[in-house]
Amino acid sequence: MSALPTATLPTVLAAASAVGLQHYIALAALLFAIGFVGVLIRRNTLVVYMSLELMLNAAILATVAFTRYNGTVEGNVFVFFIITVAAAEVAVGLAIIVALFRKRHSVDVGDLATLNN
Amino acid sequence: MIQEFIMAFLPELVLLAGVLAVFVVTLYNDRVARARAVSLATAAALVVSCLITLRSEATLFDGAYRVDLFSQWLKLAFGVGYLAVILLGRRVDDIRPDIRPEFFLFLGISMTGFVFLASSIDAITLVVSLELSSFPLFLLVAMRREREGQRMQMESAIKFMMFGVAANGVMLFGLSYLYGLTSTTSIPLMVQRLQPVIDGPLALAGLGLTFAGLYYKLAVFPFHFWTPDVYQGASNETAGIIASMPKLGAVVILVRFAAAATPDNQLITEILTVLAVASMFYGNLVALVQRDLKRLLGFSTIAHAGYTLLGFVALDEAGFSASLYYMTGYLFMVLACFVVISRVSRDGENVAIEDLHGLHRRSPLLALTMVIGIFALAGIPPFVGFMGKFALLNAAFARGHTVLVILAVINTAIAAYYYLRVVHASFFGDRDATDQMPIALDGSTRALCIGLIAIVILLGVTPAPVIDAITTSLASVVAVP
Repeated sequence: MSALPTATLPTVLAAASAVGLQHYIALAALLFAIGFVGVLIRRNTLVVYMSLELMLNAAILATVAFTRYNGTVEGNVFVFFIITVAAAEVAVGLAIIVALFRKRHSVDVGDLATLNN
Repeated sequence: MIQEFIMAFLPELVLLAGVLAVFVVTLYNDRVARARAVSLATAAALVVSCLITLRSEATLFDGAYRVDLFSQWLKLAFGVGYLAVILLGRRVDDIRPDIRPEFFLFLGISMTGFVFLASSIDAITLVVSLELSSFPLFLLVAMRREREGQRMQMESAIKFMMFGVAANGVMLFGLSYLYGLTSTTSIPLMVQRLQPVIDGPLALAGLGLTFAGLYYKLAVFPFHFWTPDVYQGASNETAGIIASMPKLGAVVILVRFAAAATPDNQLITEILTVLAVASMFYGNLVALVQRDLKRLLGFSTIAHAGYTLLGFVALDEAGFSASLYYMTGYLFMVLACFVVISRVSRDGENVAIEDLHGLHRRSPLLALTMVIGIFALAGIPPFVGFMGKFALLNAAFARGHTVLVILAVINTAIAAYYYLRVVHASFFGDRDATDQMPIALDGSTRALCIGLIAIVILLGVTPAPVIDAITTSLASVVAVP
């Protein structure tokens, strides 16, 4: 039993070294797609908001992977700014969601259907 | 060295100092009048400093920020718009009383974002200034007071914010692809390196996603759905801001990126053509049945976004400068309409078309402003709306997009119907309308009305020098460095 981790470690490392840019890009695209679909179909504002964060994180992951692959550093600086902007976004967004909850006692998108054509 | 920096960066410094002063004012209680006075002084100083630095040229912050004729005239346009919006928000009645000074604070912060946007030539500065300009607007929508028959502001704010943040996420994801392809965050370099690979799937996906985020701000067809709801839910002043500034900002960034594609690029022109046609038809047809004036303007915004895309379909300098000229004119036309809406509205409530009845007797100046704003939007000479549409149609026609030009002209005719309904209501409305009280205007509103009328006419009767100046200033943006 105790020999198991040492036995699998090289295998894990070998597998990890085979992970290339395309894997990261595929993962980023997948995260982005999950976030986008979540924004479209989820009904709870907070869950929608989490999906939005997922989209931003997909952008961050893709940028970091590209930075590593390109060998430049600009992308990493960009990522720091995206993270900062995302933090500000959460502050503004949650403020509005809390204000909405105080008025309506609900954060469900379905309760927000008074404006329609 | 430091003098050169200050001279090039003067408008931004003035604006930052002014916003800081407004922030200090908002820390005290009951300071609406003072917050407004400080904002007004800031806006006036911004306009003056833009005029002083109109000819200065510099590249600041390690190549992330460029000051040239292009950025400076845009800052001037934003500055004049800022001034107009402050005069428009005279008493900001419809904002909750305890947070009225913050209206001017958030407005100032948002304007800082737009002014920085004009000079940003790096993806990082671009994203930061874009977010700086849009976050305060989400809050401005939510700040409308709640009362009987007016409970949709939170809903509008949530919609605006959710879709806004989603559009930002889409744009950031697109930018990350563009960065991966070009390994630079500098937009001119990015554009230059994109040109050889523009037909690759990664470049198309990156550009497409980036543009989708910007189309949200511009309210182009599949990304338009927030517009009428937000206009209706936001207070009249806030809707005026959202209807004017972000559109010009979005067009500026689109021009910076669209330079990556050459006019012969079939796929991009086809996609843009479809979006332009869909926006024009959707916006104009739905606007036909609207009764709320702000919703009507919301749908007409979508149609105007479609017209603006005509310049991008042409994908050459003539097209870009026509789009910029049109959007600059649009800023002032739509502000003219919102001045009238804010003043006709007695207590900050929304205005239906019927509320304009007898306006020419209640306030001749407001009626005149409304008619000129609406005629300009409808594209009737000699106002800027006509010359702008003409320049756009010309640019698209010169590139052989005849069908698109014909469809745009048909749309102008459809739009004339609902625009004329508004004019009809203000001049020939019911004689025995319930409310015939004259509307008293103070000096600043009169000055604002006359100023906006003058700008809409002046930009319209002197198109050649204005478009020439825009084209000259575009040389530094479109030309490959």
